[in-house]
Parts: sequence; structure tokens; C-alpha cells
Amino acid sequence: MKSLITIAALIFVAPTLLAQDMPLTQVLIKGQEWELVSKGHQFTDGLAADTKGNLYFTDVLGAANIYRIAPDGTQTTVYADAPRVSGMQLGPDGRIYACQGGSFGRIVAFDLQQKTMEVLAEGVKPNDLVVTREGHIYFTETPKRQVTHIAPGGKPEAVDVSKNKTGLLRPNGIALTPDQGTLSVSDSGGRHTWVFRIESNGKLAYRQPYITMRTPTPDLPSKGDGMTIDAVGRFYVTSAVGIQMFDPTGRMGGVILSPTNKPIVSVAFAGPDFSYLYVASGDEIYRRQTKTHGIAP
Amino acid sequence: MKPQPIWLAARRVMVMLVMLMPGILTLGGTAQADYPYTDASLRQPNVPQGTVSKYRWTDSKIYPGTERDYWIYVPAQYDPEKPACVMIFQDGRGYVNEKGHSRVPTVFDNLIHQGEMPVTIGIFINPGVVPPAKPGTAPRSNRSFEYDSLGDRYANFLIDEILPAVSEQYNLVDSANGRAVAGLSSGGICAFTVAWERPDHFSKVVSYIGSFTNIRGGHIYPALIRKTEAKPIRVFLQEGSNDLDNLHGNWPMANQQMSAALKFADYDHRFVMGDGGHSGQHGGAILPDILRWIWRDYPGVKQETQQ
Repeated sequence: MKSLITIAALIFVAPTLLAQDMPLTQVLIKGQEWELVSKGHQFTDGLAADTKGNLYFTDVLGAANIYRIAPDGTQTTVYADAPRVSGMQLGPDGRIYACQGGSFGRIVAFDLQQKTMEVLAEGVKPNDLVVTREGHIYFTETPKRQVTHIAPGGKPEAVDVSKNKTGLLRPNGIALTPDQGTLSVSDSGGRHTWVFRIESNGKLAYRQPYITMRTPTPDLPSKGDGMTIDAVGRFYVTSAVGIQMFDPTGRMGGVILSPTNKPIVSVAFAGPDFSYLYVASGDEIYRRQTKTHGIAP
Repeated sequence: MKPQPIWLAARRVMVMLVMLMPGILTLGGTAQADYPYTDASLRQPNVPQGTVSKYRWTDSKIYPGTERDYWIYVPAQYDPEKPACVMIFQDGRGYVNEKGHSRVPTVFDNLIHQGEMPVTIGIFINPGVVPPAKPGTAPRSNRSFEYDSLGDRYANFLIDEILPAVSEQYNLVDSANGRAVAGLSSGGICAFTVAWERPDHFSKVVSYIGSFTNIRGGHIYPALIRKTEAKPIRVFLQEGSNDLDNLHGNWPMANQQMSAALKFADYDHRFVMGDGGHSGQHGGAILPDILRWIWRDYPGVKQETQQ
């Protein structure tokens, strides 16, 4: 992991003439297409990996369960009665942190061994979240055009709010760079994916529309939704035209086609060596093997 | 024709060799030998030397949180009573380096001394970096965001932040006619974008191996140029036939498209295609001729040294 951080650091530090190009061929494997790994749901979301490469997901509108898909493809229900859960991520304490939307409006943490749930914050409108290695939670509140931070043991505090015609129109997906120094947020209502510097106190600074998304037509929004970042710092953002991949300096590397024509809303690396890219596509989950690796939580 | 210094005559021979060189070199397939530097890129005796000072810009409003180094070259002939022309180089560290691809301080010293370009202050600016907030985290490189993006953001950064700061110390010309902008690779398209967006401030563009490709949409320039009333911009493009061909595009073809579009729209432009790769060496070697060409009709510049 350390060497991967070093690679990522070099990419950031060395804006040389020959800054590394990152075409899709560095990620995709010829002949390795999407494979269906779970079906029969209503609306899948919340993709997240654990340290063993198991993938977790939810069915936001259907059965209120949290499911696990093992690297070998075995699917298990690991938590029942967890309705309206969208974004999820494994926290440093081994619990699954999650956004519970709809009338719940709260941030929760599931202990899958004890089958218990703790409410960490209420009165919020969370969509997607990340948890840092130090236990800081950042989540998007899409209708409020807000990014919210919960310090370990603290209360929710707005750390970025967009107003009027500037900034993020619908902050949605959220991801951390491998070194956790930069937070990235997609904007389903806009044309960019944004980055922020994470300050020592957990606040956000220096927001920038670092990534320009491809849109279906010039006047349509990106539908930028679920995000993940791989071990060398490439960004993957689900969108109206597929999974858009960008290099660590924000240059597009390419668009990975969606497995079907249903909307895609969540993406994560899991499976053996975190080398499989999983995507939530409507009522189904697909995965494909890649040449790269996600960041182990 | 007036008698000329011996080194000027020697330079002409060298220029002829450079013009012949691509044909000779391509016999060896993709061999890419260095293009030779001419006397104007070498230190000459009895030519007064300007000064170069280093600065750091840490207070950008347009690119919040970024920090960057920049250098200011002031020619020996600079007179605070007379406004000096300005030329701004992106990726400035490479241009200001006396042993780098372009050796700009030496070239400026020689050409200004010979009266082949006006008294010009050089600004050499690096792309921004957002330094890390915490130990163990990486800085954010802002180069692609600043250089590859279309639009007027970077132009406004130069106009609203850098030029006023330099103007506090030095007397600079206000008119676009006395202001040039240069760069290579992404810095090349950046230089073009600056003049394209703000021709009221910059009239002269020098691009080596310019990234007129789809890094962030810059491949559309040839189409825009053909269907836009010509802007008052003079453009020099250098490119190499062994330049990049990658996910963003094909650099030699993109530069040919740029050149064809500029020709179609009747721009004052020049295009030099060598056989180099993605390197500033060829552009740097011919920089004296590039500068003679872009400054050729500026008031006070000698006219008889035109090729």
C-alpha cells in the first residue's frame, strides 16, 4: 500500500511534459466483459468493500436488506431491516457506515456481527458517504447542495454549501484519494466533479471544478453519481454515458460502457485483490475484472 | 544590404542546415537527433546580460489555494521611463533555465542587444500546486486544470493577478501588440487560449508541441478558428512528426489542423514541422528565429534581419 501511495504521490508531484497518460487499456482487460453477479432487486445502490474483498450493497427500494457478495460470487444477506440505505462504507472500526434516506434522514453504523445499528446523526438528508481512516465522516446532502462533516464523536457540520448559480447543483457521489488528502464530489445536476483539500481539522478548503464530465449533449447534466478512486488515484464516476475515468490530474482517461442501458448509481472495487470493478445497475449488480486495484478500506 | 556581424552570417548557415535536417534525419527512420542551437542561443562576449529573479505566488484568488514559483527576467537595456514589452512563458522553470530547452535569458540578451526584438521583460511562471494540508498527503497538481481547460480563467489569472504584480516593479506596455505568451505541450495550447480569449491583452503566441488535442476539449480549436472572425493574434506553431499519438489525440495531426485552420482564416501564422518527439528541444533551438518573426514589425525592431 505504501508503494502505491508513493506512486500516487509521484503522479501528483511530477507535472512533467510526459505526465503519465492513462488510457482505458491500463484498466480494462480485452475479453473480460461485465458479468452479472446479482439480480432480482428493485434498485441497487451503496456498493462498498470490506478488507477481505467482499462487496456489500443494498436494495434501496426493494427488500430492506444489506447483502454481501464474496469474492467467489456467493451472496448472503448480512443485515435485515435496513430500509432506504444508499451510500455505505466500511469504517476503521469494522462497522458499515451508511446513509439512511427517505423519512429516516440519518447517518447510521451497522455492526454486522452483533446485528446492531447505531444512529450517529439525525435530521440530515444524506445520499452518499465516505469514512476516513481517522473516522471522519463526509456525506453529500443532495437537495441541500451541501457536503457535511462529522468528526469522530461529533455532530454534523456543513463544510461546503453551494448557493445561487455557482458551485455544485446536486452533490452526489463522494470519494477519497488514496492518501485521504483530497475529497472528491460528483454533481449529478452539473458538468463537473469537484475536489477539495481536507484540512487538518477536517474542514474542506480550495474547492475546484477539477474534472470536466462528458455529458450526453452539451445542454444536459452529467448525472455524475457514485464514485470510487483506485490505488493509483484514478477517479471513476458513474454518469449518464457510462463510468467516466479520469487520471489523478483530472484528465479524462476514457468512458467505460454501462453493462445495460439502466441507470448506474454506484461503483466500487472489490473481489480478489480489489481488482474487480462492481457497478449497481438498476435491479442488478455487475462486475468485471480489471488490471488495476481499488483501495482496501 | 548593410555589412553584418560574422555571427549573424554564421547563423544563416545554421538555419539552412536546420531546414535541411529533418529530411536527412528521417532517412534513419524515427531517429531524432537534437536540432542545433545557433549563436543567438549561446552566450556571446560583450553582450550585456539581464537579471533573473525568483518569486513565489501564493495568494491566487482565481486558483484558490495554489502556490507556484515564477521568475522575472529584466534586460540590461530596460529603462524604467520606457514601458517594456512582456512575454509570459508557461512551465516557466524550463524556459528560464540557462541550460534548458530554450535558454530564454541568453536569447533575449542577444536579440535585444542586436535590436532584433524589443526590450522585453520575461515572466516565467510554473503551474499551480495546492500543497498538502497534512503530512503524508500529496499536493494537488493544478497544471492540467489551468493549462488544458478552455475558457478565460487562466487568461484572467495572468491579467488580473500576475501582470499587476509585475507592474508594481516594472513599467510594462499596456497594449496587446507588446505582449506575447508562450508555452509547450499543454502550456502551448494554454498560450493560444490566453490570446484567443483575451486578444485585447495578448497578440502574439508561441507554441511548441502544443496539445491541441482532447485533453480537456482543446481539439475543437481548428473548428472554432475556421468559423470565427479572425482575431488579431499572430501565432507560431512548432511540432514534430514523432510527437505523441495517445488517448487524447495525435499531436502532429492536431497541429497540422491548427495550421490549416489558421491559414484558412487568414491569420498571420507560421508552422514548423520537424521530426522530433514530445520535447521542447526543436522549438528551443529555433526560438531566436521565432522571436525575430513574432516581433519583426514592432516599433524599433531592426527590419533587415528577416529571413
